[in-house]
Amino acid sequence: MKRSSMKKKKGLENVLFTIPAVILVCMVMYIPFVMSGYYSLTRWNGIAKQPVFIGLENFKTILSGSDSFLSAMWFTIRYTFFFVIVSNVAALALAVALTKRFRLANLYRGLFFIPYIMSMNIVGFIWKFIFTSGFKKFFELTGWGFWNLSWLGNPSMAFWSVTIVGIWQSLGFYIVLYIAGLQAVPKDIIEAAYVDGASRRQTFFKVTVPLLGPSMTTCVFMSLTNGLKVFDIILALTKGGPGQSTYSATLSIYNEAFTRNNYGLGSAQAILYFVFVLVITQLTLKMMSRKEVAL
Amino acid sequence: MKKKLVSLVMAAAMAASVAALPAFAGETEAAVDPSQDSGEIYMFIASPEYADAINTLIDDYKKVAPNVTINYETTQNDYPTLLKAKINSGDVPDIFSSTSGKEIDTYLEYSLDLSDQPLMKTIDPGVASAMASAKEGGGMYGIAIKGNYFGMIYNEDVLKDAGVDKVPETTEELKAACDKIKSAGYTPFTTGFMEWWVYKHVAQHFVDAAAKAAGISAADLVASIQKGEKSIKDYPIACDNFFDFIDYVVKNGDDKPLETDLAGEEQAFASGKVAFMLGQGAWVEADLKKINPDLKIGFAGYPVDDKAEDAQVISGSDQALRINKDSKNLQAVLNFINWWYTSDEGQAWFTDVAGVVPPVKSDKASDFVIIEQGKKLADEKGSGELAIVDSTDSFHQVFGEAMQSYIAGTTSKEDTIKTIDEQCAAIDGPNAQ
Repeated sequence: MKRSSMKKKKGLENVLFTIPAVILVCMVMYIPFVMSGYYSLTRWNGIAKQPVFIGLENFKTILSGSDSFLSAMWFTIRYTFFFVIVSNVAALALAVALTKRFRLANLYRGLFFIPYIMSMNIVGFIWKFIFTSGFKKFFELTGWGFWNLSWLGNPSMAFWSVTIVGIWQSLGFYIVLYIAGLQAVPKDIIEAAYVDGASRRQTFFKVTVPLLGPSMTTCVFMSLTNGLKVFDIILALTKGGPGQSTYSATLSIYNEAFTRNNYGLGSAQAILYFVFVLVITQLTLKMMSRKEVAL
Repeated sequence: MKKKLVSLVMAAAMAASVAALPAFAGETEAAVDPSQDSGEIYMFIASPEYADAINTLIDDYKKVAPNVTINYETTQNDYPTLLKAKINSGDVPDIFSSTSGKEIDTYLEYSLDLSDQPLMKTIDPGVASAMASAKEGGGMYGIAIKGNYFGMIYNEDVLKDAGVDKVPETTEELKAACDKIKSAGYTPFTTGFMEWWVYKHVAQHFVDAAAKAAGISAADLVASIQKGEKSIKDYPIACDNFFDFIDYVVKNGDDKPLETDLAGEEQAFASGKVAFMLGQGAWVEADLKKINPDLKIGFAGYPVDDKAEDAQVISGSDQALRINKDSKNLQAVLNFINWWYTSDEGQAWFTDVAGVVPPVKSDKASDFVIIEQGKKLADEKGSGELAIVDSTDSFHQVFGEAMQSYIAGTTSKEDTIKTIDEQCAAIDGPNAQ
């Protein structure tokens, strides 16, 4: 009797403690989400007092390709693809290097992590300066034509500039995750592999990498969502330019809703994008966790 | 732990009391005499570059109306987004900004008609006309912090050194001058084409000349494209001359035109190696002087065609301050802006404190070369219509992006013209929301 009342009390306590968080999350996430669901069915400029209900018209506009959202989606997909692959491969390689014992290893770990703690906006402005003034100076010093390319002014170069800066900024975070994963790989198994005559390379790819499964799932998943969400780095670096060549899906939504005063169309884009992200992340998560091996 | 809780409660209480203040402010009776006013005025406006000057203005007004507190807030970035957020949450500022012209009607349902206010007697007629509503019944829905001059800024020393003794006024003269400038070892232009708003500042001069050639006003020209009745191709000066001009300045301008933003442009021009600076106006002079105090600046209209009289500067006000018509403290707000526009201290603020082109009828001299030369040129040759306010910034941003794609070579001239025509009708046309 006493026990069950204790249990009840505990359950009540749990509910009580989660209520503030639930309220906050509802206020900043779920309620706005439902509201943009409604706005996506309206024509509204974000200013007028009454939105006009127009049904599925906004979705038709987007899917018929008559606005630039689909090209922004394509940009985001390309960005995410390179972002996931390069940041994971580079982070794993650096993590392996940084777990080796050498002088200043901890210092290097710190150095790689510093960009991650800076705000994306600041990183963007620093790199804007590097791309314009820094590279110009390098060109004067070295005379290599590579420095004198218009890194932000040429539409196809701008894509790579944004991608490089994005990867550079977040690399430290994935390195830390991989280092943690590498340190959790039991030494005895690796030694056993050596004793069995496996080469260093075989040990790494056949033993270490499979055992890194959980870290990899986390890193790929995180980089995937971060890649799909890319926004601030572009805003600070190129503002989507030149032309609309570096519009990401999120930047396109923002511009549609706030600069072009098409709040309804922007909401519709956001809803479509939400569905897209949901499907992609769920598929990836399923695929990755199936591949994990347990010891 | 307990201490933390106490401080949290305190913070919450303070936040609540701050939130409650505007509600009290509304209850006080306001009178026509500002010294009798009390309460708060919430002023949330763009133009952060005048923050210091506006704080001085507020301090001055405190002496006139000691019981009025003006809560002044500004932002560097994204003003429209923040304003919309405030409006949608029911917190409409008593004084807020928008652009003038076309955007006057966008915020019409929140904005007070000022046409029966005393400040109508002193406001500059050019500024007042940019604040008029295009809807039936008209009305005047805003005031300005400043008037403005738009034109081409040049470096007198560079022109002299290159042997150009007359500022070019026609396309032919411009090309001849550029050849001389280039052979003297200078760069003819710096453009700032990374910024979308530079294009609209340049384009309006061509639109003005095109309208003159067609015998209509610039506003009518823009409206005919917005209605989808005409294409910009129907106005050769606004189309071909403009595109030729862009091609020419890109070829003879910055190494990386699409990478040069406002800061890059100012840096290039202040270095003293560049002859002309495009797309800017009176607002860059202070910055330029800060980088290079010895710079000798000149100011002129753009050479848009083969007629010297078409190279005009443009004056007017592209920013508007709007009054919330449902303000709880309306009379105090009106007393403030009337004082600003009609009293001697208020009027002197424009030239003495802010250093801007006064938006009131005034003959005070300014320290800025661009303002003085702009005034002189406007008197001699007349000034063009402020055509940028005939479209919204929503369109101008798309226009800027289209021009960037054109300069980058990703779209052809034909496609760019098509985009401009379509977007102009879609965003600002009669069928737009």
